[in-house]
Amino acid sequence: MTSNTRNTTVINIAITGVGGQGVLTLAEILAKSALEDSHNVRVGEIHGMAQRGGHVVCTVRIGENAKGPIIDPGTAHLVVGFEPVETLREIHLISKGGLVIMNSHVQYPVVVSMGKAEYPSKEEIHDALTMHTAKIIEFNAIELANNAGNSLSMNIVMLGAILASGIVPIKKETALHVVQTTFPSKFVDVNTKAFELGYQAISDSL
Amino acid sequence: MTKPKELLEDAPGKTLLLLANEAIARGVLEAGVRLVALYPGTPSSEIGNNLTFMAPHIPNFYFEFSTNEKVALEVAGAAAVAGVRSMMVCKGPGLNVAADPFFSLAYVGVRGGMVIVVADDPSMWSSQNENDSRYYALMGNMPLMEPSDPAEAKSMLLEAYEFSEKVELPVLFRTTTRVNHTRAPVRFHEIRERPAQVEFEKEPYRFVPVPSVARLRHPWLLGQIAKAREISETSHLNFIEGTGDLGIITSGVAYTYVVEALDHLGMNAEILKLGITHPLPEQKLTDFLRMHERVVVVEELEPYLETHARRLAQLHRVEVDILGKEQGYFSRTMEYSPRIVIEALCKIADCNTCINWDEIDSRMKDMADLPPRPPLLCAGCPHRASYFAIRTATRGKAIYPSDIGCYTLSIAPPLETADILFDMGSSISTACGIAQVTGQDIVASVGDSTFFASVLPGLVNAVYNKHPVSLVVLDNRTTAMTGHQPHPGTGITGMQEQVEPLDVEDVAKGLGVKYVKTINPFDSLAGLVREVREMVKWVRENHEPAVLVSKAPCALLTAAEMRKTGEYPPRFYVDSDMCTACKRCLNRLSCPAMYLDSVTDKAVIDEPLCNYCGTCVAVCPQGAIKQEE
Ligand code: SF4
Ligand code: SF4
Repeated sequence: MTSNTRNTTVINIAITGVGGQGVLTLAEILAKSALEDSHNVRVGEIHGMAQRGGHVVCTVRIGENAKGPIIDPGTAHLVVGFEPVETLREIHLISKGGLVIMNSHVQYPVVVSMGKAEYPSKEEIHDALTMHTAKIIEFNAIELANNAGNSLSMNIVMLGAILASGIVPIKKETALHVVQTTFPSKFVDVNTKAFELGYQAISDSL
Repeated sequence: MTKPKELLEDAPGKTLLLLANEAIARGVLEAGVRLVALYPGTPSSEIGNNLTFMAPHIPNFYFEFSTNEKVALEVAGAAAVAGVRSMMVCKGPGLNVAADPFFSLAYVGVRGGMVIVVADDPSMWSSQNENDSRYYALMGNMPLMEPSDPAEAKSMLLEAYEFSEKVELPVLFRTTTRVNHTRAPVRFHEIRERPAQVEFEKEPYRFVPVPSVARLRHPWLLGQIAKAREISETSHLNFIEGTGDLGIITSGVAYTYVVEALDHLGMNAEILKLGITHPLPEQKLTDFLRMHERVVVVEELEPYLETHARRLAQLHRVEVDILGKEQGYFSRTMEYSPRIVIEALCKIADCNTCINWDEIDSRMKDMADLPPRPPLLCAGCPHRASYFAIRTATRGKAIYPSDIGCYTLSIAPPLETADILFDMGSSISTACGIAQVTGQDIVASVGDSTFFASVLPGLVNAVYNKHPVSLVVLDNRTTAMTGHQPHPGTGITGMQEQVEPLDVEDVAKGLGVKYVKTINPFDSLAGLVREVREMVKWVRENHEPAVLVSKAPCALLTAAEMRKTGEYPPRFYVDSDMCTACKRCLNRLSCPAMYLDSVTDKAVIDEPLCNYCGTCVAVCPQGAIKQEE
């Protein structure tokens, strides 16, 4: 960890996406896994009106000194983006040398569908992200979720990806176990596959 | 995903990852609370969402979603007067609704412990204002506690009940969004039993505050607050930690930011953390001021503690620099963060922050404008059809008083059918005011839960005083915005019992509205437009109010039902051969499941997002949007 991250004993993970993509669920699963591995943890969530298809950001903070839920700009070791523009919207959170894991699949905001605004190009997004950090892993998580059997399992693909990054002090078995025991048994196969696909994708690009 | 079932477990010592709201729901069990009444309001909603599913499994426990906060406070207040422990829960603006009984309750006091949980919303994540409810405690003379995190939300709640019973007053338990919606490890303790029944002992000269009684109760109340202050002086909820020349006074979630900020800066300070913020431990606070040359006050929203600190310093002639909002070190708006505290402390101590935030900010500013993604009505939302019809029928020219719920989101283009909003229930009453002084057509709208909560008196007013207004009741069979709680129109109670639902149409008729109709917004969009037009015409001719009930379940309920049964209707799609790319569907309806394909330039329906409402079919002039056979 670099010296300019605040509080060397806290790992900060920001998860950003669109309401309905499973951002809150991922944050909770990740935090539950951390707790299961005996770490102190805080999750910051936003509910209510903000959830209705709008931009959502959740925080997970792991470590003894995590007291409150907020991740300040420049202090996230990992930014997990469920959608390119939403990743860009929160990129100021990334610490120097921090890692970005981003789903490359685009979900247009309504202003874009209505033709009232433009969606930035792939290159523009990439350039803007690299102004903040050089470590960016982009992959099509929706495709992997579909391969696992359900597009709704994208957040579990992302969980596998987070675990593969090595940034969180959580054992792979713990996270898998939490996933398998949290959701109804009929989702076990899809979720396990989604987790492994995400894990593999990141292990390959590291 | 913490399930209500887990909160019920009789497992002392067990540690779960809980939201403060879930911790409070668990605390209800551990404190032996006999009755909880509330009207849902974010950021407090998960308290009721859990209790309603826990309630049927808890012996001797009653839970209700009351029709509104005033009702809830009266129900819960009376139970505590009768002698059991009770709780009322609301969001910040909800306490404004309950303000009337709030003040009387302090005068008469309670026999069983009572806690009023109020969840303020700095930054207004889901509220119409960020008023600081702590002033209610001051004005109403009610003890006040402020937890900082989920674990404290539960442990402090247990103490609040003890405190309440010692001083025979309800305790105002004030949280903020960043407490309510933070998840942290919380340890379970023993569950306390509840009495099956108590006897209501009459004491009218205490509990009926006619003037002669109230005149005696006010001095009594001030005496109780003096007693409460003694408890506050020695309570471990008001504690000092750390050492240093600099003093910091703080409460609530701001305390966690202070601890993290000092950690970040490697700075020493002595912190006075206040858990009981009314009545304040004045002696302790004054001594703290005496021990420091400079004291920084860190609290979100209003300078509540700061003003008290200044008052005490003046009163006791303490030479101390009190630094806070008055000098501009902190803001009176929006929530705080460790960064905000770090920057203020650096300004005060003349040091540098370890992170160059100015540089990060400027990097973000340089970035091209990102397309915004505000919250929206969901794909398949019945309100979208209703508002499309309202707007089309009135050609966008009527005045559209709105109300509080998901449907306020119709403020955004292209629907743009929200023109004025004050509070819960203001749709109908603001419509009346506008009708009297303009000649314009007025189509107000309100949801079903808000209709029962707060529109009824306004509707009676409109009938009796003959206000020419149209009201569309968007009956989506639930309280959608706060997480789908039942209300009197749904047929389910807080105890999860089936009862006879109240029908909006019957109620409106019963109140004397002569023109009342119910329509399903998904039956025919053209028919819906016709209905709105007819209603507006009728109001113009008859000069009295009319009600149209647009009734169809919330899209999220429909979607959940489809996921459960696995049965989906045939899919909707755009026939790209017929689509002329006129974009009418996108520009007039803007369903989030539709977008323009950047390659073909034709409209497309994003299948996984579509909720099968069929509204878009009627909007396309080419008939290009179809449903598979
Ligand atoms: S795409 Fe059409 S059918 Fe699907 S949810 Fe949107 S408006 Fe309804
Ligand atoms: S309204 Fe019909 S023709 Fe026009 S863009 Fe939409 S689908 Fe195509």
